[in-house]
Amino acid sequence: MILIPKSEISICLPVYNESQVIYQVIKDIQHAGYDQVYVIDDGSTDESIAEAKRAGATVIRHLLNRGAGAAAQTSIALARKKQFKYLVMMDGDGQHSPADIQTLYTTLKNKGADIVIGSRFLNDNSEMPNIRKRYNQLANLITNLFCSNSYSDTQSGFRIFNRSAIEQLNLTLDGFSYCSEMLILSDRLGLKLEEAPIETLYSEYSLQKGQNFMAGVTTAWHLIRKIVFK
Amino acid sequence: MEIRLFQILVPILALLFVIYLVRRYSSSKSTIYELVLGVGFWIAVSIFAIFPDFFSNLIAKIFGIKSNINAIIFFCIGILFFVIFKMYFMIKKQDKAITDLVRHIALTDEKEAKES
Repeated sequence: MILIPKSEISICLPVYNESQVIYQVIKDIQHAGYDQVYVIDDGSTDESIAEAKRAGATVIRHLLNRGAGAAAQTSIALARKKQFKYLVMMDGDGQHSPADIQTLYTTLKNKGADIVIGSRFLNDNSEMPNIRKRYNQLANLITNLFCSNSYSDTQSGFRIFNRSAIEQLNLTLDGFSYCSEMLILSDRLGLKLEEAPIETLYSEYSLQKGQNFMAGVTTAWHLIRKIVFK
Repeated sequence: MEIRLFQILVPILALLFVIYLVRRYSSSKSTIYELVLGVGFWIAVSIFAIFPDFFSNLIAKIFGIKSNINAIIFFCIGILFFVIFKMYFMIKKQDKAITDLVRHIALTDEKEAKES
């Protein structure tokens, strides 16, 4: 296993109203040895910002709620501005394990990839509820139609990027469809994408926070509109 | 030719809208493109109101629709779709501008907070 240079890894957590869990999420990341933690607050109306600051993270604040995709692109813009060597994006609801950053980094290095996606389905022991599995399968089907390769988890928010990816990616979709947009865009830019298996920690809280059916329909519509009209 | 009430009212209403559009343009609140488009639209509405049978029959003939009333309905639905699509893309453009602005402020605030 490759030794991970933890000081070169910067972690961005796009967050919207996660005050219940964000403190612990940041502390878990810090305990794993990563001290560069940035919270991209997407206009939260609860105490997320105060909790993130209390935990010792740097907070970048959107004055208005613009969506998960907008927060992801702000993470990339921040990485570009601050010259991050490696950027890791994780969900702010605590469903990702900081221990898996090592897996993503090792895959990035071993396979010479520019982006590695943490896949919840590669291990095949996912405890994801059935309705979510179906939603993800549909999203995979739509996204993979527009990619040269096929990916097992196109909607995962756990990803690592190297400098080349940080410099080239410019996402335009503000909503959850950014996950698919990023893959399609990377494919077109010639960036090398790989996947690595990750563990997913489902809690009652994280299950409540996920997308519903209508959000899925909106996501698909935004993606298709973007592909058709651009 | 028998003159009906709407044939007087609609052109008067259109004239008021044209005056409003010209005033907006002269006070730099709209572009020349919006002025031309708006004035063109209201002139078309006025002509349509003054000669309703001639134009409805003409549209019906051009599109091969039997009834002139159906032709007017289809024509109006077409215009409404065009306007809705145009507004939809305008809103998307505004949406992107807002996101860019919010991001810019967020990154600037972060820099200022660090410096202070």
